[in-house]
Amino acid sequence: MAQSSRPPSVLDSLGEEIIKIVTPVSICMFLVVILVSVLDSSSSSSSTSAASMATIAYSENDSDSSWDKFIGAVWNSLAFVAIVTVVTFVLVLLFYLRCTRFLKFYMGFSAFIVLGFLGGEIALFLIQDFSIPVDCITFFVVLFNFAVVGVLAVFVSKMAIFVTQGYLVVIGMLVAYWFTMLPEWTTWVLLVAMALYDLAAVLLPVGPLRLLVELAISRDEDIPALVYEARPVTHRDSGHEGRVVQRRVWRERPNSAHDPAEVPKLNSTVNPALHGNSTNDSMSNTNAASIANENVTNTVAVQETLSQCLEGESELSAPLIDHRINVSPQGHEDAVPSENLALEGIGLGSSGAIKLGLGDFIFYSVLVGRAAMYDFMTVYACYLAIIAGLGITLMLLALYQKALPALPVSILLGVLFYILTRLFLEIFVVQLASNLLMF
Amino acid sequence: MTVEAGIGYALIALGPSLALFVSVVSKKPFLILTLLSSTLLWLISLIVLSGIWRAFLPLKSTIWWPYAILIITSVGLQEGLRIFLWRAYKRLEDVLDAFAERVSKPRLFLTDKMQIALAGGLGHGVAHAVFFCLSLLTPAFGPATFFIDRCSKMPFFLVSALIALAFGTIHTFSMVIAFNGYAEQNKVDQVFVPVVHMVAALMTLVNFALEGCLVGIPLLYVMAILTLMHCGRMVWRRLTEN
Repeated sequence: MAQSSRPPSVLDSLGEEIIKIVTPVSICMFLVVILVSVLDSSSSSSSTSAASMATIAYSENDSDSSWDKFIGAVWNSLAFVAIVTVVTFVLVLLFYLRCTRFLKFYMGFSAFIVLGFLGGEIALFLIQDFSIPVDCITFFVVLFNFAVVGVLAVFVSKMAIFVTQGYLVVIGMLVAYWFTMLPEWTTWVLLVAMALYDLAAVLLPVGPLRLLVELAISRDEDIPALVYEARPVTHRDSGHEGRVVQRRVWRERPNSAHDPAEVPKLNSTVNPALHGNSTNDSMSNTNAASIANENVTNTVAVQETLSQCLEGESELSAPLIDHRINVSPQGHEDAVPSENLALEGIGLGSSGAIKLGLGDFIFYSVLVGRAAMYDFMTVYACYLAIIAGLGITLMLLALYQKALPALPVSILLGVLFYILTRLFLEIFVVQLASNLLMF
Repeated sequence: MTVEAGIGYALIALGPSLALFVSVVSKKPFLILTLLSSTLLWLISLIVLSGIWRAFLPLKSTIWWPYAILIITSVGLQEGLRIFLWRAYKRLEDVLDAFAERVSKPRLFLTDKMQIALAGGLGHGVAHAVFFCLSLLTPAFGPATFFIDRCSKMPFFLVSALIALAFGTIHTFSMVIAFNGYAEQNKVDQVFVPVVHMVAALMTLVNFALEGCLVGIPLLYVMAILTLMHCGRMVWRRLTEN
């Protein structure tokens, strides 16, 4: 073009953080749907899941009446939620007693179990179904390496962020796939029960997750949990110079500016004594501020803008990087009690990027996986409902500026859309489409 | 008819939409959000319609006029949805412009507005293809194929994929035309879109006749090409007059 290119419009970068969270959630859901449809669980596999912890109160049979199944499912879910509550309280206690090392080891151990054993079993199913020729020794070596790298990825914070994110998505996918093997009624009632539990645990003053969050804020530490954190948004526009840096986090750290390229200007609202209250009123400000945040925290070793960071800064930024990891992931069936879906909430990380707990990934994927067991139309409807719920939750997050439960809105919308699709939409669309009438 | 055939049918219905998505929409996160929201709204309108009509279904497949009423009500509701989307878009435009001033960036360009309209239309087109074609495509991944009596020359999956492609095009570009028509107060454009939608939908009634799809589908493509040309002309005119 003869003229110089136009200045970047506001449309170029708006909404980027939301997409950075929606993308991994979508990928996780997509993988679970693929697994569910490829591994096509026949009724025989439901008997293998009969001994899981989520069915201790009642094992579903095909011959029971709907009401019996429903009541049995309610008992199962109550038992499961009770176990989760107890374990979460134990976690809060351990965190309070500052047993962080123990929690970290436990989290690494659980990640190893999930990747090694659950991943191994699913790999075995795939090998069986597709008759892939591979021998034991190769399989074990590959699996062991895969699990160990995964543990390192969630344990050690200096790993490439893409690898860490990938492993978190894989862990979420594996656990979600196992949950879809529960009987049908139990799964649905369990999802609703977990959504309500999440609501209570994060918002009620005695809720364990809220206690955890408040403890973490008061000590200015990161919560030990498996949390997916979207990569902080990096912007290199000239708009930053001369602009006051607004720190838009709900948990703030005393922090001096790091970027040598710009004169550090901290907003007066950044005050170490302030916890979590920035003066922001609208979501657009959130975006602007968290975009502007980047020069403070863009850290994780593999970022492209590394050239801007001096060596000395890495020490200052080190405590900021140390988010994530620690504590437990998700429950899975065997003897290991289902861990706390610690931090199912959604919040803003210390770098201003949006964090989403792994429990949310898992339950969204369970819902979509279960919908996939019926038909693909329900999959699309539930996917759209979950993304809408996630969007609403993110908007509420920008509005209320505190940790919010990410499960309730999405799960309830997802279940609602599933029921509506199954009852109304399916017959409508099939009637029309089979007569080749479309609009 | 095997996985390749299934993927092939899916790509017939969604190929151009996917190309549009990758080249235009995926670059700007806001457009992806617009696409997702418009898909969601289309789905909600479809659920509302199916809720209203549930009591009357299943209809007998030999008489055609209940289907005509069904189609007319459905298209009416969706055009109403389009007007609602336009109102929501106007408010969004104000918010975006205010935000742009605040971060000292230029206001929305004409091409930005057209891209938002395109993303909205693409959302509708994708939703249509997904719910009317892809969700029925699951058996196509298996070992056999399926023919219906009324259209025995082509597999059912191929027919529905072709129809979904035509409608996807119509939905995508009529949103651009409609938004432009409302913005410019151009009566021709404002009327063009609902009329084309209604005519195209009623044209699918032709498929009711035996071997009707041999006539119905080419007619549908005529409508799609008409929409494309009108949209192209309109966009060219607006871009060159600025």
